[in-house]
Amino acid sequence: MKQNQKKAWLFLAPILILVTVFSIWPIIRAFIMSFKGGPIINMQYNGLANYQYIFSDPDFWHAIANTAIYAFVTVPVALIISIALAWFVFSKIKHKTFFETMFFMPYVTSTIAIGIVFRYILNGKYGLLDYLLRAIHLPAPDWLDDPSMSIISLIMFGVWASLAFNIVILMGALRNIDPNYYVLADMYGASEMEKFWRITLPQLVPTITFLLTVNLIGAFKIYTQVYALFNGAAGQANSAMTAVFYIYNKFQVVNTPGVAMAATVVLFFIILLATFIQRKITKKVNS
Amino acid sequence: MKFKKALAAAAVATLAMISLSACSNKGGSSDSSSTKIPTKITKKTTITFWHGMHGSQESTLKQLTKDFEKENPNITVKLENQGSYQDLQSKLNSTLQSPKNLPTITQAYPGWLMDAADSKMLVNMTPYINNSKIGWGSAKKSDIRQELLDGAKINDTQYGIPFNKSIDMLTYNKTLLDKYGVKVPTNMAELKKASETIYKKSNGKVVGAGFDSLANYYVLGMKDKGINFSKKINFTGTDSKDVINYYAQGIKKGYFETAGSAGYLSGDFSNQKIAMFIGTSAGESYVKKGVANKFEYGVAPRPSKYTMQQGTDIYMFNQGSADQKAAAFMYIKYLLGKKQQLTWANATGYIPVLNSVANSKEYKDNTDSKVPGQLAKAMKHLYSIPVVKNGNAAYNGLYPIMQNIFAQAKKGKSWNSAIDQGKTKFNSNWNQ
Repeated sequence: MKQNQKKAWLFLAPILILVTVFSIWPIIRAFIMSFKGGPIINMQYNGLANYQYIFSDPDFWHAIANTAIYAFVTVPVALIISIALAWFVFSKIKHKTFFETMFFMPYVTSTIAIGIVFRYILNGKYGLLDYLLRAIHLPAPDWLDDPSMSIISLIMFGVWASLAFNIVILMGALRNIDPNYYVLADMYGASEMEKFWRITLPQLVPTITFLLTVNLIGAFKIYTQVYALFNGAAGQANSAMTAVFYIYNKFQVVNTPGVAMAATVVLFFIILLATFIQRKITKKVNS
Repeated sequence: MKFKKALAAAAVATLAMISLSACSNKGGSSDSSSTKIPTKITKKTTITFWHGMHGSQESTLKQLTKDFEKENPNITVKLENQGSYQDLQSKLNSTLQSPKNLPTITQAYPGWLMDAADSKMLVNMTPYINNSKIGWGSAKKSDIRQELLDGAKINDTQYGIPFNKSIDMLTYNKTLLDKYGVKVPTNMAELKKASETIYKKSNGKVVGAGFDSLANYYVLGMKDKGINFSKKINFTGTDSKDVINYYAQGIKKGYFETAGSAGYLSGDFSNQKIAMFIGTSAGESYVKKGVANKFEYGVAPRPSKYTMQQGTDIYMFNQGSADQKAAAFMYIKYLLGKKQQLTWANATGYIPVLNSVANSKEYKDNTDSKVPGQLAKAMKHLYSIPVVKNGNAAYNGLYPIMQNIFAQAKKGKSWNSAIDQGKTKFNSNWNQ
């Protein structure tokens, strides 16, 4: 039996207090508020009414579906592209640090600023992307103002925005692979593909698992990207309504904090479940 | 032993912190029922004012405030910018839980503060207005336009005083209209005709017209048919469908459009992609900047009987001391002075809330702005969103409903099922 040093508590105390006050207490409060109705200044217990409301609200399911589509498309696609790019930069390109910095730039730029640039690129009337598509005689959809395109545009934006962080982490992992593996592989005449599938990828699995978890949780909480891309709204006709947008709307615009908190609790459990399943799967893959 | 003491100390500190924060959540409800209104501020008094003004609006407000402080050396006004209206609304919403942290006065739409009014957290302005020393003596003597005062009422109580108000107006490309021989439309039928002509004569390159606010479009369209905005509206009824079809048909044929995710049509207007648009009078400075010397633009009354009055009022919270409340009211009254209103309206594009200023020669002769000359005509019939439960949510909910319908029209598809879906949403927005 290992014993924690009692002194450790003292050193941990400041952060434990902060975490309790700013992270754990809000979660507990959200749970309590989800069973209350009425305006924020005068909330009364109303049992499960908020949960009944959201489960019968088509807008809520629409928001959850959008969030799920976004998460389950963006995360794997972004991860595959990141691995390809990181591998490419790592093994084929000179001046690695320069490109690494380039790829990292979007991460340190504000999402709102990137959103404004994307709005120019995707604009249906003056946009660069549609201009290029028309130049090669392809159909040029209205990326921002056609409700049926909203989620696709959002996924494009999401994939692009998550590359930066992924690539930098993956580059770090690639550097940590023992170069002797490759030397040995070369001695036995392994092809590039064989080296990638047999050495690089297996060595990257722990990093990929980490990225998958972090990205998935982030994707479920998506809000800023929607706000930035659609100018403060959830897309035309609420076509890009996500779970957090729904929560914000119910809390601040409609003034039903209880409903917002019920949706928060549901989202909390969805993320918990998704992360749990994902961990189980990766564990199985690893073994 | 030492460690245990330290741990105990830490625990006590934590407990103290928690109980402190718990304390700040309680109390603050109106304890000082200040029935007597002080008419003079003899002690140093500080009031806070939360606002959402930016650019020239904010700098003008700062200047007016400085002038006020010079005239009333005992009063200090702390202006606190809370960001956009949406940010201001969220900040108010969350601060209502700990009333001690609320400002003395704030800009707000009445719909934001309904719960606060129900919980008696707002100050009824009527005694102040009627006070002959600190106020005007009566609402009539204040010279504030009646509809604007009515728009600042919650449950029939005068909680707000109108301040930065704007109305919907028509902005048009005069150069283009002259070129095609199109007269400035004065009603919706003429607007349709003018738009069709422009679209045809420009070979589909220039769209005729559009409305910035789809919610205003629907609400005013119904009001012109004599139907007030309420939960009783039958969204799939004949009148409602008439209003929707008018716009949707134009979009389908190409002579109307919506602002889309850009939010405003002033960008398309200054790039000469659209010939006319209906939007807020407070947006004129953006039009002016965008148009520059490319062409001549004009402003006219909204081509409908009613126009929407929008923009925030000033509300006062109950927790301030009697002196603070009196000082705050003196400040509001100062902002609504004739001279100040003229400065404010000229610098910001907001409309003067006083009848005498709106009709004054100095205001109408303003050559920098095209709004003043048209204002008297444009403000004949004002309408505002009724301050009732879920009214604000139902009004905001009109945007996605209309966008959904018009997206179908733009694709050339039938929008009937979208109207049916809209009805479900419209009704559920009213009943949440």
